[in-house]
Amino acid sequence: MPRIPLGDWVNSTVDWLLDHVAWLFDFLKTVFTGTYDGINAVLQAPEPLLLAGIFAVIAFWLRGTFAGVLTFLGFAFIVSMELWENAMVTLALVLVATIIALVVAVPVGIWAARSDRVSGIVRPVLDFMQTLPAMIYLIPAILFFGTGASAGIVATLIFALAPGVRMTELGIRQVDKELVEAAEAFGTTPRNTLLRVQLPLALPTVMAGVNQVIMLGLSMAAIAGMVGTGGLGGDVNEAIGQLNVGLGSESGVAIVILAIYLDRMTSALGTQVSPLGRRAAAKARSLGGLKIWSYRPRPQVAVIGVVILGLVAGGMGVFGGSDDSESVASGSKVGEGKKVTLGYVPWDEGVASTFLWKEILEQRGYEVEAKQFDAGPLYTSLAQGDIDIVTNSWLPTTHEQYWKKYGDRLDDLGSWYDETSLELTVPAYMEDINSLADLKGKADQFGGKITGIESSAGEMGMLKDTVAKEYGLDQEYKVVDSSTPAMLAELKRAISKKEPIVVTLWSPHWAYNDYDLKKLKDPKGAWGQGDGVHLLSRKGFAGDDPTAAQWMKDFKFSEKQLTSLEAEINKSGKGKQQEAVRTWLKSNPGVVDKLAPVEGGSGDTPAEAKRPVDVAFFPWDEDIAVSYLWKNVLERRGYKLNLKQMDVGPAYTGLASGDLDVNFDAWLPYGQKNYWDKHKNNLTDLGTWYERTSLDIAVPSYVKDVKSIADLKGKGDLFDGKIIGIEPGTGQMQLLKNQVVPGYGLEDEYEVVDGSSPAMLAELKRALAKKEPVAVTLWTPHWAYSEYELTKLKDPKTAFGESNTIRNISSKQFPEQYPQFTKWLKNFKMSEDELGSLEAEIKDRGQGHEEEAVAAWLEEHPDMVGRMTPQ
Amino acid sequence: MPVSLPPTQEVSVSARLEAENLYKVFGRKPAQAVDRLRQGADREELRADGTTAAVIDASFTVEPGEIFVVMGLSGSGKSTLLRMLNGLSEPTDGHVRFGGEDLTEISERQLRDVRSRKISMVFQHFALFPHRSVRDNAAYGLEVQGVPRAERERRADEALALCGLAGWEKSWPDELSGGMQQRVGLARALATDAELLLMDESFSALDPLIRRDMQDQLIELQKKLKKTIVFITHDLNEAMRLGDRIAVMRDGRIVQIGTAQDILIRPANDYVASFTQDVDRSRVLTARAVMETEVRGDEADCACETARPDTPFTELCAISARVPHAVAVVDGDDDRLVGVVPSRRLVGFLGDETAEPGTCDSPRDKGGKVMARA
Repeated sequence: MPRIPLGDWVNSTVDWLLDHVAWLFDFLKTVFTGTYDGINAVLQAPEPLLLAGIFAVIAFWLRGTFAGVLTFLGFAFIVSMELWENAMVTLALVLVATIIALVVAVPVGIWAARSDRVSGIVRPVLDFMQTLPAMIYLIPAILFFGTGASAGIVATLIFALAPGVRMTELGIRQVDKELVEAAEAFGTTPRNTLLRVQLPLALPTVMAGVNQVIMLGLSMAAIAGMVGTGGLGGDVNEAIGQLNVGLGSESGVAIVILAIYLDRMTSALGTQVSPLGRRAAAKARSLGGLKIWSYRPRPQVAVIGVVILGLVAGGMGVFGGSDDSESVASGSKVGEGKKVTLGYVPWDEGVASTFLWKEILEQRGYEVEAKQFDAGPLYTSLAQGDIDIVTNSWLPTTHEQYWKKYGDRLDDLGSWYDETSLELTVPAYMEDINSLADLKGKADQFGGKITGIESSAGEMGMLKDTVAKEYGLDQEYKVVDSSTPAMLAELKRAISKKEPIVVTLWSPHWAYNDYDLKKLKDPKGAWGQGDGVHLLSRKGFAGDDPTAAQWMKDFKFSEKQLTSLEAEINKSGKGKQQEAVRTWLKSNPGVVDKLAPVEGGSGDTPAEAKRPVDVAFFPWDEDIAVSYLWKNVLERRGYKLNLKQMDVGPAYTGLASGDLDVNFDAWLPYGQKNYWDKHKNNLTDLGTWYERTSLDIAVPSYVKDVKSIADLKGKGDLFDGKIIGIEPGTGQMQLLKNQVVPGYGLEDEYEVVDGSSPAMLAELKRALAKKEPVAVTLWTPHWAYSEYELTKLKDPKTAFGESNTIRNISSKQFPEQYPQFTKWLKNFKMSEDELGSLEAEIKDRGQGHEEEAVAAWLEEHPDMVGRMTPQ
Repeated sequence: MPVSLPPTQEVSVSARLEAENLYKVFGRKPAQAVDRLRQGADREELRADGTTAAVIDASFTVEPGEIFVVMGLSGSGKSTLLRMLNGLSEPTDGHVRFGGEDLTEISERQLRDVRSRKISMVFQHFALFPHRSVRDNAAYGLEVQGVPRAERERRADEALALCGLAGWEKSWPDELSGGMQQRVGLARALATDAELLLMDESFSALDPLIRRDMQDQLIELQKKLKKTIVFITHDLNEAMRLGDRIAVMRDGRIVQIGTAQDILIRPANDYVASFTQDVDRSRVLTARAVMETEVRGDEADCACETARPDTPFTELCAISARVPHAVAVVDGDDDRLVGVVPSRRLVGFLGDETAEPGTCDSPRDKGGKVMARA
């Protein structure tokens, strides 16, 4: 059987269409978005409750008092769930799709009703449109129409068109042939036969079609959320992505309320507009007599009600609207209202980074829109230029296929987070399965299944092609394609029943937080190196907006920052991501300036710069590096720095006496503890700029009598003989197993349990919730310390080794003398890479060439100046 | 019933309708099929090829003011024939001429104009527009003609009154009984002042009693209006009651055209004869059909009651019962004798027996005498 390359044909057709008929799609897009924007603007403008009132009056008119009251309650419920805005987006989407669907469907239906040939052609096309899985045309819809409303409208349209056409055709065809013949026998023209006889009589059926169009449109709205249409569909999408059944049901119920309302209103409207329906209704009414619940106002009264409410709404919209236009003129608004669209896959780190950048860019005067996508549509849109930035691209592995396909149309602004990994994961209760190799021969236990995610995901490809083969699992196990939410649901189900399950997962992932899971070790390294989370932009973004591009290129996030931000976002709940980011930014001051430094003009010199700064420095690599770095950077800002090399003791004395102003290299709390303790009353600590993680064992603070690692001895029973570890093989775990446990003589009592950071955190959280004793491996800094009340066990034997932070210390009065510099210093951070490369540069140039070396290094790190001294 | 018709009604002279060699073939290559039919192929042969000959070589003329009934069983092609007369169905071959116009030659637009002004139609299942009131239904044809609202409502109301529906103008079709609905259908057809009325089994869907009423009313109306009417039915009784002339159709062909009595007395073939068996002869026959025309000349010279040629059969029976001898039939102003009706002949017609009485071996009269003598 020869391979029929249907797929290739489709691809080339799509390409051809893109090349040659773009004008048509642009035109359609303009029509769609124009209509959508108009309707959306109308729906979003008024006070929610006022608009709910308008809807209620319409229901009152069409169906009576009871319906009116219910309508108001239903919409008020949506308002109270804080889903109003999204509900209106969805409503606008559905209305536009319905209008366009009817504009297309009714004429086609009429044509099909009058010609059997047309009907014969139209029918299979409709079948095709209705049954083709939505995902298949969602992606091309993005190619042709870009993301957002128009792609969603097109997808909805394709899906919802069929009942419109079918019902119109059916309605006209089922009009009594004798009636049509009667019309013709009296010499009626075909056009009048249609308008005076067929359409009026087909109207109830056509309206049933309209009703179906709306219903299908609404059900499609949820799916259209995947292409960044937003609205309730976006909420549903996000909710299932997070396995958040609660949020999902809220959005779901909102959709249902909309659906029921639209359904009842369109069917009532069907009765109103069709003469037969009006007659039937009048008959029914005359039988029923006067009842308050079914009382309906005359149309005039209803119209007057709607108009009054509408005017009030419009008026409030006008007056309310002016509040927004206040804007603080500020030098930091370098965005000048430029529009930036951020796209993200609704993974936690994506949400966090996207809303972080949204907030930052908005603070910088950009107009930012954040849109949620599936991976495929996301890359398509980025390549199309519909969105500007994607903050969570997992490269080189997970999103490899997309990068291959679209890489030449994208710019990689570099990785901002590197601690990711892909893995197979089992629940922690699968005690004898610890590594991928352990899976071999246990297929029966797992039903021969590895529960996977979307078959298009890079991870799935790797699993099937490499990992399973490497460990000889491909014969025994079947990798089941599914979806991330389905995998998570499966996992949740299995865990609740304590059933064996093995799933594909990745880190970071909240599942590690929520469930007690175990990442399977990969001794053969089949999964390869972990991905970095990259920030991608559309091609040419850097050219259009070099400032923002530079900020993003320089974007780096530590695990601590990321996890604390994610925790904050999770805590705030959905729909408040940006508020969470603001809260987080408040507790992490300076991040905005650090991530989005604004270059000031050279003449912009703070007053404090007039007084030279005396800097004491120690002849140690890092201090030389950082001191010369500050010298270079501050001199660009008009400061003058005198660098004075001295020993530690004199430096502290000089700072304490006020002879010297600042030192950047205080190793605290251990290295220079004695000096610090002696002079600390006359010194100011300006924070750390470089920190080495200190490694700890921590217990909840309600475990009263355990304050140091030594206290663990003899309490093995209390802790069930377990110290909850993290990923086996990490330096910390090695230290723990080889140094700490033997060092304190705990090896007989305690077992160090291998796991993962998220699993450890989950275990910790669980224990905390139950107030059970638990001992976990942790490190400083870690958000867990701020989130929970934990006791960091002292390490009197320093079995984990010394750990210090490098801090800035200054004279007592320094912050008053140099407020700006103090601020900069407090926000100053340097990564290991940066520090290492700067030190290397200085060492290469040799002594006496420090200033040259710093200048050269700054050339390579152009963001550094802005980062260190944002204005 | 007050009748005030528009003046045009009174003076209009209905036109003659002519159908000439009409053929209607459904299916592929209809023209070829017509050729084969002309060469003598029959319906079954064509059916084998997948073409259906609905009407084959139908020719007839309907005189102005005449009710022409086309009668046949279902599938005989009578409805198709009717629809060719106003162009709803285009003849495959042949011509329809009405009022000097060949309807098969004119454009669609002209045809529509003819339909809206000169020909109207009444349907089997009434075909009233359910979304229009009774008045708007009756006014439909006028609305198509473009008559202004006030005038068309007035004329519609007149037509409704003519059909006995005064006072129902504002009702809706679904509120009326079947008979009343068909009166609306009739009013709709009459309102346009069309000269030709095509009635497609118009009374078939009604109850027998109401059907009688409607037939009577149609006959009454026709006396006033003198329309040219083509009436389709499958009921020979109805055909004979209404029709000035009747065309009997079978398998797409017209097998006989004639008056009711022609068909009853001289059926063209066994098929027509078998039809006439169930007919209530007493309602159809008149003295003209029953009388013996070989007369001596003195039969009417007595003072006994006489009949006229158009005296209905039942009345004739009544006269015969009162008269001791054969009833004389006289015609004309001068009461010229045209025939006699012996009572034996009346009995023979009732029993559909035309043979002369035979001889009896032992006639009852004689036997009686013998008995008496003995």
